Amino acid sequence: MKSFDLIIMGLKNLFRRKTRTILTVLGVVIGTAAIVVMVSLGLGMNESFDEQLKQMGSLNIINVTKYRNTPEGAAVNSKEIVLDEVAIANIGAIKGVQAVTPVMESYVKLVSGKYLAYTPVLGIDAGVMKDFDYSAGEGRLLQEGDTDNIVIGSIIPQNFFNPKNQYSMMGGPNQKPPVNVMTDKLQITFDMMYGEKQRPGQGGTENTKPPKLYKVRAAGVLVQSNDWQKNQYIFMDITHLQKLIKDANKAQEQGGNKGMGGIFGNADTSKGYERLMVMVKNIKDVDGVQKKIDEMGYGTNSLGDLRKSMQKQAQTIQIVLGSIGAISLLISALGITNTMIMSIYERTREIGVMKVLGCKLNNIRQLFLFEAGVIGFFGGLAGVLLSLLASFILNAVGKGIMNSGNMGMGMGMGGGSRISVIPPWLAALSIVFAIFIGLVSGFSPARRAMKLSALEAIKTE
Amino acid sequence: MENIIEIKGIRKVYRVGSEKVVALDNIDLSIGKGEICCLLGTSGSGKSTLLNLMAGLEKPSRGEIIIKNIHVEKLDEKRLVLFRQKYIGFVFQSYNLLPSLTALENVGLPLAFKGIPRRIRDKKSKQMLHSVGLTSHNNRKPSQMSGGQQQRVGIARAFVGNPEIVFADEPTGNLDSKTTSEVMNLITDIARKSNQTLIIVTHDTNIAKYADRIIHILDGNIEKIEAVTPLGAITN
Repeated sequence: MKSFDLIIMGLKNLFRRKTRTILTVLGVVIGTAAIVVMVSLGLGMNESFDEQLKQMGSLNIINVTKYRNTPEGAAVNSKEIVLDEVAIANIGAIKGVQAVTPVMESYVKLVSGKYLAYTPVLGIDAGVMKDFDYSAGEGRLLQEGDTDNIVIGSIIPQNFFNPKNQYSMMGGPNQKPPVNVMTDKLQITFDMMYGEKQRPGQGGTENTKPPKLYKVRAAGVLVQSNDWQKNQYIFMDITHLQKLIKDANKAQEQGGNKGMGGIFGNADTSKGYERLMVMVKNIKDVDGVQKKIDEMGYGTNSLGDLRKSMQKQAQTIQIVLGSIGAISLLISALGITNTMIMSIYERTREIGVMKVLGCKLNNIRQLFLFEAGVIGFFGGLAGVLLSLLASFILNAVGKGIMNSGNMGMGMGMGGGSRISVIPPWLAALSIVFAIFIGLVSGFSPARRAMKLSALEAIKTE
Repeated sequence: MENIIEIKGIRKVYRVGSEKVVALDNIDLSIGKGEICCLLGTSGSGKSTLLNLMAGLEKPSRGEIIIKNIHVEKLDEKRLVLFRQKYIGFVFQSYNLLPSLTALENVGLPLAFKGIPRRIRDKKSKQMLHSVGLTSHNNRKPSQMSGGQQQRVGIARAFVGNPEIVFADEPTGNLDSKTTSEVMNLITDIARKSNQTLIIVTHDTNIAKYADRIIHILDGNIEKIEAVTPLGAITN
């Protein structure tokens, strides 16, 4: 029998019992839509997680510290871990690592004439800055040999204020910043009191020498990004930062704060760096690289850790949601089986006649499988359309709710994130799956039809 | 004359619960090519069983059935289907047309099972319907036709593939006497015209008169064989 004839015949049979076919298809529609919507909610959750993580920094970066947490949670002290040039070289040699830099953090006041800005500073290896996903909006990134050149986070220019004018802080992000960081003179100081009015009653510091100012030049300003660190920090070469900190510490000690050494940061490099930052080229390798660094005895953490735990959480929710959907699809599968068995009872004689007239056994099986598959296909197709509609409504309604919620909380988290995401693969997969369900459900009825005794079927009652 | 069907020492026993029912006791029979042969007997005589055995719908308990030099009793399901496709046509008492198909499609069904393309199928089916006297019923569903018309479609379906043997099981059982004679004339005419072997099972002696030879069956045995025409006498 030609497949075309088989298809026509199967469709005719389905069409003959419209109501039942439609009801069975409806079962599959609901099952498919349930699964697709449930999975789409899980995917939407993942998407918004990822979006949130991106705001927290690059997912490709692993932080390496001296302090290591064993799986039991206790710090291991048996061996002194040193993050030195050797460590940098070793970690840099791991496959998949793009760049490694030592990191030092401190807090400074950026000074430009009468304007001030508080800002954290990150000391990194000037030569590898470009490898860490930074990009300059103005000027350039740090380069090998930069000393008093700094790169400024994108919103720092807006943070300048005039301490003499109380209202200047109200400027807001839309006002033109008072300082052009690229051209104006810039200085940094580690003294947080610089430029502020001396408050009375601070006896200990009355004798201090005026704080030291260090001249810097802006090499560039970063482009605005989702990563808060890239917006809020200034960046400079780590060796120069260490030098400045050492100098500032010394000045502070001379100024009568003896014994409080290192208040601006630990610039002592004899025991290595506090922290390294490792850039992994491919996000898929982050886990593997992190594991290898762990094995070398260093403590590591990355946003990947957070991501993993978030994903695990999302997965649990997805499994729960998916199971609910799966139950409804299972029921619709039973519906298909039931319909096909009913159909066999009704068509027993017909099947017998077909056999007597020389219809091949395979053709009979194919006919029933085809009918079941068509029910699955149309159910899946309509189910996907229904869930696209549901997803659209969820997103439209949900966005309003989420946005108003965000405004209430005063944060712009997950601006464009959707509640429900149906990627093309999900749509395609669920249609294929619905067909598969149809075929599986139709398998045993089709076998039954094939094995029907022709004689029993055509016996005159 | 060459024998197209040879039946040797056939016995068929059914088990009903723990009891054995002998449907066919010991049958030997030869049927010639182009012969119209009638199996005549009362209900329960075993005549239908004999037909079913010949068509391969049932297996004998013992004995041989040789059709076109093929041992039908030894064929498995798959081969039986192909065997029927090739050599056998069927006319049923209750017509057994597929209700979802039109008359034309019903007639073309055996051809469709053989994998013959629709265009050729439709052409042959139309001719066949024409020769059974149905010209304007091509696109009617079985439910829109009378019993006589349905049986004509059934006959067209049995003969459309030009099979060498056609089995007809009480072909007029559901028809009135006028239609019966029409249908019987039709079926025997077609069979004679193209030298096809026709085996009719009936309990009606009037029907039996259309055959070349009448085989009286009683309690699972051949009671007597009666030649109606010279052709029947030859085979005898």
